[in-house]
Amino acid sequence: MKIKLSELFLVCVRIGALLLGGGYVIVPLLVNEFSEKRNWLTREEIIDFYAMGQCIPGIIAPNTIMLAGYKLRGKTGAFCALLGLTLAPFVAILALASFVGILLKSVIMNDIFWGVNVAIIILIILTVKEVWSVSIVDKATFLLFLIAFLACIFGVSPAIIIIIAIIWGFLRIKFIKGEQK
Amino acid sequence: MTFLLLCFEFAKIGLFSFGGGYATLPFLYHMSEVYNWFSLNELSQMLAISSITPGPVGLNVATFAGFKTAGILGSLCATMSIMLPSFVFVVIVSKMLKKFKDSPVLNSVMYVLRPVAAALLAAVAFRLFFESVVKFNTFSDFAFKNVDYKALLLFIVLLIVSLKVKKDPLLYLAFGAIAGILLHFGHIFA
Repeated sequence: MKIKLSELFLVCVRIGALLLGGGYVIVPLLVNEFSEKRNWLTREEIIDFYAMGQCIPGIIAPNTIMLAGYKLRGKTGAFCALLGLTLAPFVAILALASFVGILLKSVIMNDIFWGVNVAIIILIILTVKEVWSVSIVDKATFLLFLIAFLACIFGVSPAIIIIIAIIWGFLRIKFIKGEQK
Repeated sequence: MTFLLLCFEFAKIGLFSFGGGYATLPFLYHMSEVYNWFSLNELSQMLAISSITPGPVGLNVATFAGFKTAGILGSLCATMSIMLPSFVFVVIVSKMLKKFKDSPVLNSVMYVLRPVAAALLAAVAFRLFFESVVKFNTFSDFAFKNVDYKALLLFIVLLIVSLKVKKDPLLYLAFGAIAGILLHFGHIFA
């Protein structure tokens, strides 16, 4: 079954409008819209795209959604997803550009974002819980999780962690093959 | 001429910034110094607005900076240019994925990459929790008086709710926004 481009676009517009407080919120939103509601992709695929989105230059959220769009409908899909994602933020910025000063002084705006920030932490925790079951499958993957977590907490750049993980993935298969011979 | 330069500069950011949205910042600071498009002060204002409107911060700042420089057409140029390199890479990577699908090498890479990606997300949650709830930056300056107890309360309530029911992400965001206003009720009269 082919996914309609118009539907893909509209779902991405929705995701773009809800993408508050940092690009990583793209993961729970994609899981919700692409996997739970529509069964277009699996959770594993989405977490794979998120991982790859970090090794591609540019901004993570659009990278992730473009990879997902490409998987669904090729180049046009990727472009459609990108356009959809950018639409709401683009309009919001243009609309707000004129009253920057007033908005920054608004205390209520700050209160709203105070609450949204806490909700975002919950959303990320939920996502980690969800991807846990498909990504941490044995002791080795648990160890990898722990090492990457600590490395990131102590300030190693995510891009470097991901690149090392990819290299390790390559080397690991060479070792396994060597042992079998 | 400005448009070409704008496109070129933003494509450069798209190509060379890795990681979170804030990775684009050093480039923008540099831009404010080299060109007369926007001042440093304006840049920090744009950043504040960009982080409270929907969308990734890096993309929003690009839209905003483009608008400041050359109006709506400028923001269109900046947004498209910053995404162009990524688009090209997405196509290349996706083609490679299709070609090497089910290969043991790719499976092995994914086996390693998945827990690592999960860990990076967990680390973001961890960092946000300490930054916005417990206000704890280093071991030496930890103090109970710094803890935002209202945030901690909201966090615990949301966590319990999330364990019991599985809801739309939108509901959590809306709940947080309303709680933000209600828990700082005094601000409305201040």
